Amino acid sequence: MQGTLDLLILQTLAAGRAHGHAIACSIERRSDEVLQVGHGSLYPALQRLLKLGLIAAEDGISENNRKARFYGLTAKGRKKLLAEASKWQRFSEAMARILAPVVEESS
Amino acid sequence: MFVWQNRRKQLLQEIETHLEIETQRNIEAGMPPEQARRTAKKKFGNALLAVEQSRRVWGGLWLENLLRDVRYAARSLGAVPGYTTTLVCTLMLGLGCVTAMLAIVQSVLLRPVDLPHPERLVQIYTEDAPQGFSAGPHALSYETIDALRRNTNSFAGVSGYNLMMRPVETADGARVGPLMEVMPGFFQTLGVSPKLGHLISPEDARIPVAVVSDEFWRDRLHGSPKALGKAITISGKLWTVIGVLPRGFHPPQTTGGPIVYLPVSLDRSGQDEFQNESAAVIGRLKSGISMQQALADSQSVLAHAGRTDAEKHRHLVMRSYSDLVTGDMRMPLGALLGAAFVLLLIACANAANLQIGRTASRMPEMRIRSALGAGFPRLMQQLVIENILVSLLGAALGCGLSYAAVAVVRHAYANKYPRFDELSIHPLVLAAAGILAVGVGVVASVAPALSIRLHTIGRFAARTATRRSRLPGLLVAAQVALTCVLLATSGLFVRTLRSLETVKLGFDPQGVTTLVLMPENQQQDPQLSREIETRLLHRFENLPGIQSVTMQTEIPFSDYNVALYGTTDVAGRPYHQGDSAYYSFVSTNFIKTSGIHLLGGRGFQPGDEASGAIVALVNEAFVKKFLGGRNPLGVSLGFHTDPGDTAADLPFRQPMTVAGVVQNELQGGDLGAPYEPMVYLDYLQLPKSSFLSAVFSMSAQYAARSALPPATVAAELRAVVKEQAPTMVEMSLAPMKERIAQSLSQRRLALRLAAGFGMVALILSAVGIYGVLAYSVALRRREIGIRMALGSSRERAAGLVIGQAGTMVLLGLVPGLPGRGLPVMQCDRSCMESRRWMRLPLLLPAAYCCLYVVSPRPSQRYVRLGSTH
Repeated sequence: MQGTLDLLILQTLAAGRAHGHAIACSIERRSDEVLQVGHGSLYPALQRLLKLGLIAAEDGISENNRKARFYGLTAKGRKKLLAEASKWQRFSEAMARILAPVVEESS
Repeated sequence: MFVWQNRRKQLLQEIETHLEIETQRNIEAGMPPEQARRTAKKKFGNALLAVEQSRRVWGGLWLENLLRDVRYAARSLGAVPGYTTTLVCTLMLGLGCVTAMLAIVQSVLLRPVDLPHPERLVQIYTEDAPQGFSAGPHALSYETIDALRRNTNSFAGVSGYNLMMRPVETADGARVGPLMEVMPGFFQTLGVSPKLGHLISPEDARIPVAVVSDEFWRDRLHGSPKALGKAITISGKLWTVIGVLPRGFHPPQTTGGPIVYLPVSLDRSGQDEFQNESAAVIGRLKSGISMQQALADSQSVLAHAGRTDAEKHRHLVMRSYSDLVTGDMRMPLGALLGAAFVLLLIACANAANLQIGRTASRMPEMRIRSALGAGFPRLMQQLVIENILVSLLGAALGCGLSYAAVAVVRHAYANKYPRFDELSIHPLVLAAAGILAVGVGVVASVAPALSIRLHTIGRFAARTATRRSRLPGLLVAAQVALTCVLLATSGLFVRTLRSLETVKLGFDPQGVTTLVLMPENQQQDPQLSREIETRLLHRFENLPGIQSVTMQTEIPFSDYNVALYGTTDVAGRPYHQGDSAYYSFVSTNFIKTSGIHLLGGRGFQPGDEASGAIVALVNEAFVKKFLGGRNPLGVSLGFHTDPGDTAADLPFRQPMTVAGVVQNELQGGDLGAPYEPMVYLDYLQLPKSSFLSAVFSMSAQYAARSALPPATVAAELRAVVKEQAPTMVEMSLAPMKERIAQSLSQRRLALRLAAGFGMVALILSAVGIYGVLAYSVALRRREIGIRMALGSSRERAAGLVIGQAGTMVLLGLVPGLPGRGLPVMQCDRSCMESRRWMRLPLLLPAAYCCLYVVSPRPSQRYVRLGSTH
């Protein structure tokens, strides 16, 4: 779904900065659908978020001593995440409400 | 572009790290290293695609593509230097010619004259033939000018001027130079202000003051500020220099140089210091007044103020100042600009052709790119960029070429044509050239793009290796047609020059030296001048080695001719309006000296002046106009008297008797001008009372025939003048041959440019035909190979190719041959030359023989290739 990947990335980074591979693994753990076409599709999304200024990148050293690029949320990104999260929250609540009567009927 | 590349590198690096971490993990999970890597890659997916998609996020893709296309184009063009050089040279020639012509047209015709509000300046003149002594064919009498100045309401200023050549004496000695007599308000009307001192004002009209041009001030007065207040001697009178004009101010009808300006001062009979009764007129319109209004105003004033009937009926005309300065240049320059554009079209067709040829060889590349997903617009963009790159390169070189050309033209013609000293390439012209180059690039890529579209898209894509396109052939045909038109034009120009060089002069210039003298004092008694001049004539005649000498008021190619145009009555023929002839005064030995052919009757004889009647010779044109079918000998002529004319209005009342008929001779200095009816009279027979005797104190022109070298003749003549008539100033002394050459060189600019364009066109279309043949032979290589294998001979295969070339040329000649008539008609109207030079040579077949010489080359080359296949 459009925007899901972006939201997942932001959500992942909310816990702290991470490099591409870590983000990919984290997302993979949570949802196996979003990165269907492979980890590669993560990178255009990262570039998009960088351009929007929601995340920032800096060079660093990975846990196994490799030079890697670490991404972290910016203030703007954090705000965006909150907004998006509450939007999704409302959306899923609405969906739940829509779907609820069916459950009642069947029960 | 550099930034993007860095980011790209960074991203690739990042992806590599990602893969390494994943691989490491897989190894840790127990996979063998190779499998671990493969699995990691598989999990990652298409890395390049990820980079491409990221690239799209960064933005500016079009710019990067553009830059990449430019780089690619530069590299791929660099790989085929022969092709690129041909293409760039083609476009350089085309664009260079157009830029140079645009620059000339812009500087001469379009750029406003450097005077305040030049659009309000006009020339007022009359289109009727001049009468009596006039400063120019368009001059108005001083009285008329005065009436216009006083009684019209449309002008902020009206003034007149006369331009002449006179000896001007400064502290350094006398030199002959241009002199301009100006009426009060001349400078004010033009709106020019002095660089030093002040200008001639209306109050100065009766005081001998002079204003000089910047060049005169530098050359003759040493550029010193103290020059103001010094005196210069003109016509035996002292004139005080009161002002210097700014540099770059060129009065009308001159091309600058050291000019002296004097105020016009009229005597009681309405003549000025130099016996002029009239002047050329300029005016400045009041703001908001149109030329039509001003003209109507002036005409009504003239209708009420005319002095004589003749003047009342004169027809006033008005034209803008820029027309006065460069009006004559408009048609020839326009024609040349048109020719340059035709040349550009040819170059464009050439470029398209060369590209079609190259596209054919690039088709595999295009197909691969198309298969890899490049859309047609993307391919088209690549092609257009390549083209624009080439044409901009061509334009840059072309601009260099035009800089050189303009500099050469300026250097060579600055003193010959008005405003040519101002020639320069304006940034606007450069911008226009750039736009043209881009336009040419786009236009020239249309045809190749079409062929790519045809080959890469659609069902035919697969098997078109030997398919022939008709487009190149059609382009060559169009090129040949255009070349025909251009060649016809330039052939016409060249032919004109040739004809002018061998024109029937009507006289024999070989061995004739002309000498023009002028009395130092223009106010000298005509009778005295007459005596001096006659004495000189006799002395000249008695010089050793001189065969004969004559005086002539009108010597062909002289700048000092005095034209008398008189209404003429011929006995036995009713007078019609416009019955006028030119009168030239000559001396007894005229026929012998000039070498003019006597067609009937006799020439002047020494005893003529004693007899009562005035003896006249007439030319063929006179006989044709006035005496059609009659025996001209013995016919009596006279000046026509209009009702109201007094004796003072006529040169003389005595009748003239035609004693002989001579061949038409060239008149004035225009080799192309038609012959006018002409009456020759003997100087010595001119009645003393006639106002025409004033000619004696204006100038004396001698022509001497001798077998001696011109330098010897010149030295002899000079010695006599120095000894016998020290008061006479030598205005010019040159062999007639030299004068004719000078006159020809005046017209050479247009001829050279047009001939140059024709040659360039021919070269370009030869290159075009060569390119197309090379291309088509390349396409037909297999066919030719098979033909050769089946036993066809080399000659037959070559014939095949030549036949193809012939078809293209013929195809072009069909519209081209009638098309060549166009410039001829244009020329006729532009009166570049009169009709007698219009016979067109059949240049074209000869020209295309050259093309045939070119065409076998590719054929032979590829026939050889074909046989080895």
